Order: sequence, then structure tokens, then C-alpha cells
Amino acid sequence: MSPMKLCVPGERLCSVEDCIPGTGTYPRHGSIFASLAGYVLRRNEGEELPIISVVRETEAQLLPDVGAIVTCKVTSINPRFAKVHILYVGSTPLKDRFRGTIRKEDVRATEKDKVETYKSFRPGDIVLAKVISLGDVQSNYLLTTAENELGVVVAHSEAGVQMVPISWCEMQCPRTHNKEFRKVARVQPEYLQA
Amino acid sequence: MPVDNKRVRGPEISQSPLLFLPPDSQISKVSSSSGRQGARGNGDIRPLFARCGLVSQAKGSAYLEAGNTKIICSVYGPRETERKDETDMKSGRLVCDFRLAPFSCPKRGAWIQNAEERDLSTALAESLQPGACLHRYPRAQVDVNVVVLENDGSALAHAVTCASMALADAGIEMYDTVLGCALRQDEERCLVDPDLAEERAESSAENQGRVVVALLPNLNQISGLQADGEMREDSLTAAVRTCVEGCHRLYPVVQQAILRAVKKKAAPPPEK
Amino acid sequence: MAAGFKTAEPLEYHRSFLKESCRPDGRDLGEFRPTTLNIGSISTADGSALVKIGNTTVVCGIKAELAMPTVDAPDKGYIVPNVDLPPLCSSRFRPGPPGEQAQAASQFLADIIDDSNIIKKEDLCIEKSKLCWVLYCDIMCLDYDGNLLDACIITLLAALKNAQLPTVTINKEKDLPEVDTQHKRHLHINKHPVSSSFAVFDDEVIIVDPTTEEESLATALITAVTDEDDQLCAFHKPGGSSLSAEKLHDCISRAVTRNREINKLIDKVTKSIKSSK
Repeated sequence: MSPMKLCVPGERLCSVEDCIPGTGTYPRHGSIFASLAGYVLRRNEGEELPIISVVRETEAQLLPDVGAIVTCKVTSINPRFAKVHILYVGSTPLKDRFRGTIRKEDVRATEKDKVETYKSFRPGDIVLAKVISLGDVQSNYLLTTAENELGVVVAHSEAGVQMVPISWCEMQCPRTHNKEFRKVARVQPEYLQA
Repeated sequence: MPVDNKRVRGPEISQSPLLFLPPDSQISKVSSSSGRQGARGNGDIRPLFARCGLVSQAKGSAYLEAGNTKIICSVYGPRETERKDETDMKSGRLVCDFRLAPFSCPKRGAWIQNAEERDLSTALAESLQPGACLHRYPRAQVDVNVVVLENDGSALAHAVTCASMALADAGIEMYDTVLGCALRQDEERCLVDPDLAEERAESSAENQGRVVVALLPNLNQISGLQADGEMREDSLTAAVRTCVEGCHRLYPVVQQAILRAVKKKAAPPPEK
Repeated sequence: MAAGFKTAEPLEYHRSFLKESCRPDGRDLGEFRPTTLNIGSISTADGSALVKIGNTTVVCGIKAELAMPTVDAPDKGYIVPNVDLPPLCSSRFRPGPPGEQAQAASQFLADIIDDSNIIKKEDLCIEKSKLCWVLYCDIMCLDYDGNLLDACIITLLAALKNAQLPTVTINKEKDLPEVDTQHKRHLHINKHPVSSSFAVFDDEVIIVDPTTEEESLATALITAVTDEDDQLCAFHKPGGSSLSAEKLHDCISRAVTRNREINKLIDKVTKSIKSSK
């Protein structure tokens, strides 16, 4: 097999008539140019034209986007909202810290008026959430956990032990058997192993 | 003068020993007749050494050496913007910090960023911005930090090249790599990629100037142009053209350095 | 999921390695990262050195200037060390005046210079109460991956060894100094202090030459500085968990071995430069 073609940003890859521009490329003046340094990849995906894209070792710079599922760590809570740091977008870790907010009304889908943030999250919890807005000038990313699959996935009890979920709103400490309230996510198996 | 109490202080006044050289041994000025150092032709750029991906903590980085000019650049981000205003919502910001290390020039510099460095930071940012696809990074900022470890002329031009290599290494989307080239006009002579002595040489003759050009080589657009001094119009246009040629000569080295880093970071993905 | 575990539970992640007496980067608990040295690469400085300990990279440039000695010490020159952690070297540092860590490092170096007498400040005097040298030792971190102090001291020592000062005489008629850059002399290095840094995990496990991540998770940090006569010049343990006397002795004896290795390295690199000239 011939070695794969490499490119640097700005290189002309082909004409727009030959391919559809994919990630890491942009069209201009009827040609497709590379916007990333990486390997040039052509893929047929059932369309008439193959998709041309440039790939690197890590995925393109992911930023939290509306609709993305993110993994975050709770940093502080008050009666109105919880503040979090976004650690992952999907399964890609973020190298830099992005802050987000989960407002009280976005914690769960039902009985929104009865939500108490203290009974939903605690600082240090690892939470799965979805981005609902990039926020405005004053605020950060707005996140929601109002879905069954979203909410707390890892939490430590007051005794400092990782707790086991026992229902959608409670977790139990395996050492003291104390129950604590959380907005628990319907846990995905890979998180249990970690 | 405010006291800097965050650093270890020396005596209040100290002078560079260069001020006390006997008059006859003053650093020789480049006389317009003498050749350039290292038998370099007027239109020749200094051999370039470039590497990407040296700073482990950074998203992307580059190191560049042209003659004795040594520049290192690292790129962080995209990360959360620090200052927020309306414009940030749609596109990202490119924040540049340009510094000359205190030991980088013949005379020791201060730690505190001076006006020259601030000007250079702005010039660098303006030259790079047209090359970066900032609309892909809404609400975020990309930090470009440049430190000149040794300044032997054409620092801004090489900083532009170095920074764009670091951006490419960081995987920041760009319309094109940005290349920089400087030129010193001395009467009828065009000295491409001047060293510090050539850059700073004083002359009372006419048609003196310095030009720095930043070029997007594939799109063939000039993203930054800085000229100072008094030059004739025709020399200026010629100077810009010469700089553009100089940029094109840098390109293969830059390309190679970027690709080398890409190969080092990852094996080619499996073909489907 | 290993990467996820590392980001979400960094402490547990490190503990799982320490239990097996090794570290995430594959080192033993008592192993330093490879240390490399490059001397005299910056020609605009009177002396310079670049040190790499693993990823951590630090460069020191020495600039000598002339000044008047202080009234208290008319026969002494000045050595002014400053450490800078520019935003270039890590995303944790912001542009602006030096932060706490940089200030602490600068002061630490200044103390070591004063206490251990690396260079006799009397050697820097040109004429009593009139003229002396100021050595500005500017240290810049280019890549911050932990163990800043060790790197700073090695680069400072190597740069001082590399530094050459022009000869200065005072012209009696004009009462002005005259500088002769043709005849340069090396500084006399009186002592060769080298430091070794340690991090303490969970109050008991001691690891050598911590990375940034290890530093941030450790319960205590220790730096021991010794000179070539196996004398302890400085011992720095800013708070943190308590430690038994034996463990401290252990740290110091390791620092002594480390000192020999580093001084051998500096000599080797200095010699290779001289022979290549």
C-alpha cells in the first residue's frame, strides 16, 4: 500500500467537483483546501462523491456544542444552580477547562418546581449532562440532566467511599449504608468498572 | 519608577559593559559596501531550522532557528474566553503574547513587557488572524505565546512563521499557513532576512526602511505588512515582492516540520 | 476507559500505580527523568544553559552589567536571579507579573546563592566602593512538567560555569571604566550546589523528581540542596504532611548521589564544548 498522503493547512486537495468537503477541509473558489495538518482521507459513504477529510491523531478541536453529551465534575452548588467543569465532550477529553451551569429547572424533567439542588448533586460528583445552550454574555454553557440517562454517575459518600446507585434518586454508601439523595443517571456499564 | 517587589532586585542603576568599550572597537557598523556575514547574498534567507511539538504541556508548539535568531512558540486552547463581549459569541479570539527574553538582545531587557513587545504582539495577532478559521471556535480563545530566546534580527517575521507552525501543530483549523519574511532597504540594496546589525544599522543616506510581510502562500494573500523608514514607492513595492519570494522559499522547510510532527504523533489511520 | 479514570479520579489513578511500586510514566519511585544539558547556546548572553529534566525545560541567560557596590558591602558584587514562568510553558500560568510560584523560586535561588557561596561575591568587585559586576541570571521556563527547582539550580550552575566576563580597568585620568572584550575570564565557581526534589504521596510514599501531575496530587513536597562536599546547603519543605527523620535522611543521601551525577554531567558537557571549539 502506498503511504497515505499528508497535508498542511492551505494545501489544495482537489476540486469541489471530485469530492465533498469533510472535516478538516474548506471549499473556496471551486477547490477544496485543507484546514488541518494531517492525513488525507477519502471515503465513499453511499453518496455520489466521496467525502474528503483531513484527520489527526486526536479528533478535531471539540468544543461543547448544543446537543452534545458532556461529562462534568460538580464544583459548587447553591439553591438555584450547580456549577460544573466540563471534562469530556462525548468520549473526547478536553485539554482545557470549560465551565458550565446546571440550573435548578434543568435537573429533571418532572416536578421541576420541587427540585432541590442539594438533593441532586454534591461537589465532586461526576455528572453526565447535555448542552442546551452556549449561554449568553454573562453566563457559561447551560447544561441539563433532564433525561433518564443523564445525571450523577460517580459520587462519593460522606465517608469518602464511592456509592452505589439504588434508585433514580438515591445512592447508598457501601461502608456506612447511609443513603444519600442524587439525581442518578441510568448508569452505563463502562462507568461501573471505572 | 514603581518598585517591582515581585522579583529579586539588583542595584538601582547598572550599565551594560558595552557602553564602556574603547571608542575604536565599537561594534562595527555594516558599511554598505561590505558583504553580508557568512558570504550571504543580499537576497538570501538564512538557513532555517524548524521543529514542531517540543513543549509537552502545550496543545501545539514550534521552535525555529534562523541564523542566531531563536524563537519558541506554544499554542493553548481553544479554551474559555477570559474577557467576554458580544463579538466573542460568534467567533473565537486569537490572543498573542510576544516576549523578548531579557538575555535575548545585546543589552539586557526588562522582565516587564515594554511598548515594543506590545506592538509586536498586536502585529503578530493581526498577521495570524486572517489565516485562522476562528468562526469554528465560538466562545473560545486560542492563546499564542511567543518567546524570543535570542534576537538576531527579523524577529517578528520569524515569530509569524513559528506561530503558524505551532497553530498547525495544535490542530487549530487554518485557511493557510502564515509565513513571515523581513527585509532591510539600505539605499539600493535589499537585504532579505536581515540580522540584528543589519536591521539596526543607522544610515543618513536616503531610501532607508524596514519591511515585514506575512503571507498566506497558497491563497497568495498578504495578511500582514509593516513598513517603517523613508522609502521610495518603487522600492517599497519591490521590497514587498522580494519578501513574498522569501516567504515562498521558507515554505518547504515549514511544511516538512509540520508533517514530521503529524507523523510522529500518529500512524496513518486505516484505510477503509 | 483508562484515560477517563485518569481525568476523573487522578489520585486513585496514581495510587493504583504506586501500589505496584511504579509510576504512570514507567519510572521507579526513586528514578529521575533523563536529564540533558546544553551549554552556551545563546550568544547574546554572557553565559547560558538549557536544561531538560524529562519534559521540563528551563533556560538561563546571564547578563553582566556594571554598577556601584552598596555602602554596606563595598567589596561585593551582585547576583540577581529571577525565575519566570511565562504562559508559554504551561496553561496554568497567565501573562502578567510573576505569580507566587515564580516569586518563591526566585527567592529560593537567591537564598541558595547567598548561603552556599556558589560564587564569592568579592570576586565580582572591580574596584572597592566604586565599581562591581552585577550578574543578572534570568531563568525562563519553556516547558513546565514539574520539578522546577531542580531544573533551575542546574541551569543556573551551568550558566555560571559558562559565563565569561570581559576585563575591566578603571582609567585613572577620566575616572571611567574601560572594557576589553578581547580578554574574557571565567568565573570562579566556589561551590556546586545541586538539588533533588521529592513528593510525598498519602503521607508515606516518597517519589523522586515529580511531574506536574504528581506535584499537584502530592501531600508534601521536599527539596534538598547539597554541595560537592556532601554538605546540606538548603532543605525546603513548605508545609504538607509530616515525615519521619529516617525518611528525611534518606532524601538527603539521595540528594548527595544526585549531586555527583549532575556535576559529572555539567563537567562532561563543558568539556565537550571546549574541545569542539
